[in-house]
Amino acid sequence: MKLRKFIKTIPLKLYFLLTIVILYAFFSNDFGLVDIQKTAIILAAAIDKAESGFSLTTQIAVPKGSDRTTGGTSSVEIDAEGETVSDCLSLIYAKTGWVPKLVFCNLILIGEEAAKEDVMHSLNFFLRNEYMPDSCLMAVCEGKAGDMLSSQSAIDDASSLAINKLFSDAAVKSGKVMPNTLREFAISYFGVSESGYLPFVRASSQESNQSAQQTAGSGSGGAKSGSQEEEKIYSAEETAIFRGGKMVGLLPREQTFAFSLLKGNVFAGTFNVKEGDEAVTLTVLKNDGGVSLECKPVPKAKFSLDLLVRLCCRGSSGAIDGVTVDTVPEESLQSAQTIVTGYVNDLWNTCREKGCDLFQLKRSLYRSSLKKYAEWKDNFLSSTQVQIKAVVKTKK
Amino acid sequence: MKKISSRQIYFFLACVAPVGKILFLPALLAKDAKNDLLFPILAQILVQTLAVFLVLLLSKRGMSFYELLENTFGRIAAKILIAIYGLFLLFAALLPLLEQKLFVQSVFYDTLPSLIAFAPFFIFSAYVCAKPLSSFGRTWDLLAPLAIVGFVGIMLLSAGSADYSALAPAGAAGGSGFLRSTADATSWFFDAALLLTFMGKYEYKKGMAWKGALSYLAGGAAILFFYATFYGIFAEIAPNQLFAFTQTSKYFSGITVLGRIDYVFIFALALVMAFYTVLPLQGGIDCAMEAFGTHKYLRTILSVLINAGFVALVVTLDYQFNDVVQVIAKTLFWIFPIFFLLVPALSFLLGRKRHETA
Repeated sequence: MKLRKFIKTIPLKLYFLLTIVILYAFFSNDFGLVDIQKTAIILAAAIDKAESGFSLTTQIAVPKGSDRTTGGTSSVEIDAEGETVSDCLSLIYAKTGWVPKLVFCNLILIGEEAAKEDVMHSLNFFLRNEYMPDSCLMAVCEGKAGDMLSSQSAIDDASSLAINKLFSDAAVKSGKVMPNTLREFAISYFGVSESGYLPFVRASSQESNQSAQQTAGSGSGGAKSGSQEEEKIYSAEETAIFRGGKMVGLLPREQTFAFSLLKGNVFAGTFNVKEGDEAVTLTVLKNDGGVSLECKPVPKAKFSLDLLVRLCCRGSSGAIDGVTVDTVPEESLQSAQTIVTGYVNDLWNTCREKGCDLFQLKRSLYRSSLKKYAEWKDNFLSSTQVQIKAVVKTKK
Repeated sequence: MKKISSRQIYFFLACVAPVGKILFLPALLAKDAKNDLLFPILAQILVQTLAVFLVLLLSKRGMSFYELLENTFGRIAAKILIAIYGLFLLFAALLPLLEQKLFVQSVFYDTLPSLIAFAPFFIFSAYVCAKPLSSFGRTWDLLAPLAIVGFVGIMLLSAGSADYSALAPAGAAGGSGFLRSTADATSWFFDAALLLTFMGKYEYKKGMAWKGALSYLAGGAAILFFYATFYGIFAEIAPNQLFAFTQTSKYFSGITVLGRIDYVFIFALALVMAFYTVLPLQGGIDCAMEAFGTHKYLRTILSVLINAGFVALVVTLDYQFNDVVQVIAKTLFWIFPIFFLLVPALSFLLGRKRHETA
């Protein structure tokens, strides 16, 4: 009786078993085995212009000792030149014997010269690669991207990790940087506006403590030792603007800040205004920003900013009672309004001059009216009027 | 014989059938229809709903699919037709199978795995195909909640990242874009043809035709919402996003902190899809059984042979997915409406007449 009952339930058990086999086969991911000795885990990629094609520098994570004094991420930079990015990666594979793995690649750095040509020629590899995360951050850098990626960071083990820190959420909220991802850049490139932006990274030298000690030890008038490596710190307060995939201009830090404000990104970011001759720093507590397009009777770009600020500090000391006051005097509010309006105006003029539709206004026009888009698309930016409305308020 | 309940049919139409349409098709449609990709999908859903309504109405006669064909076209013609119908279902199974294989290899593996990774699917498929179609009912009871959890989870993580204004302006792709993409989508919409093979394996309940059609529409609404979100997230680069339901949820802000938690929902949908992919194969075998008799081991033999044949096809067509899409979806798409719409429509019109004159 029991045997018969057991036999009767065999099909169900088999069904269940096969479902488990399927689950195992589909989702095992080769049991997650990655042979670290044969795999190059690429943390970042740098693209430069080469004589024929591209030069690709990859920063590859390498295993590091596990004792407490040597913890962190160690990396090595390998470069190759080829006609396409894929070609370069194949060469890196041939040079090292490591299979390049892009799953963890979180930064693509483009050299200044390479950015002056259509960057999508090189980026299309990353966009097509199904293992490459398209949420990967991108930036243009001063000089050669390969050199920057190979430089020694003063604040982190790997330069890419240090540069990634520039694009943290906290940095974005400060309004000092406008990061962008591969996906967002590609959408704006392939869209009707054909315009986009990327943060522009600069590196400046920073003498490490160790180097400084060595220099001090060599005597008061002694020169630096030739073998010591120069450490770098990075900044990305400027923004490169693109049209048709080519870098056409650079937004200075003030315009980058205005761009952040218009995107509504800023929270607890600061900027300086004048109160008489005195410099005053204000903190942005609330940032409502936006850009819209009005189509009647002619295209008009409407920039609106609504900021709630409080006093952060003054450039000079005052009575102790003043330290507790965080409301902003009317004069400073007026000054803030003028300054912010000026920043936005400069930003618009730069974009118009360079032909970069940074605010995707052409796309807005396309989405709202195909007829008007067909009518205005050819000289859209030059014929668009502008209206800027900035309101700066303080906490009562 | 064990019967499928009406509830299980509704579950299939509302929850299981939509899963097959949200993997490769969104990217394909975004290529031709661009921001208008909702229109071809809507057209397909409406036509398919009509076909589902028709099939369910036909099942009111209490006949199996073979009996229906016999009643409409005569015994000899019915034998030939059901054999052709079986071949059609096998033909229709190829695209979803290759789609599923590519999906598993590309999404669940960091580097391209060997072909063998997909082989267990055919063991599973051979076993499922060796069982009669009526055994699917209980499976749908289990798959429906899994599909709902998977779909809702993915949509919750995805909707916030979408800019739905990317769907404007309507009509940008023009009439030719609409027609081209509607034709392309046809190869993914043949659920009424599958339902036809289930005839006689469930009992018609009062109002089942319109309830079934409504269930299909509900599933269709979910598909439309997904497509809108998909295009809202990827806009101009949507044609590049091959495995749609695995792509949309990864931009959820919590993912950077928690990791790819969306994979739980992707796994759920992938499992539902595995069963959905087997269905045309099983339907094809069921048709052959009706055409060539009910020998004790015939179903098992057919199941092994057909699945072995598909293993060979999948190996042969390993790098030819785009060519298969070109042939099936872009060239031979017209075959599908013959089977999911014309056959039930003719059966509905002619069969009734013959029944009445008899």
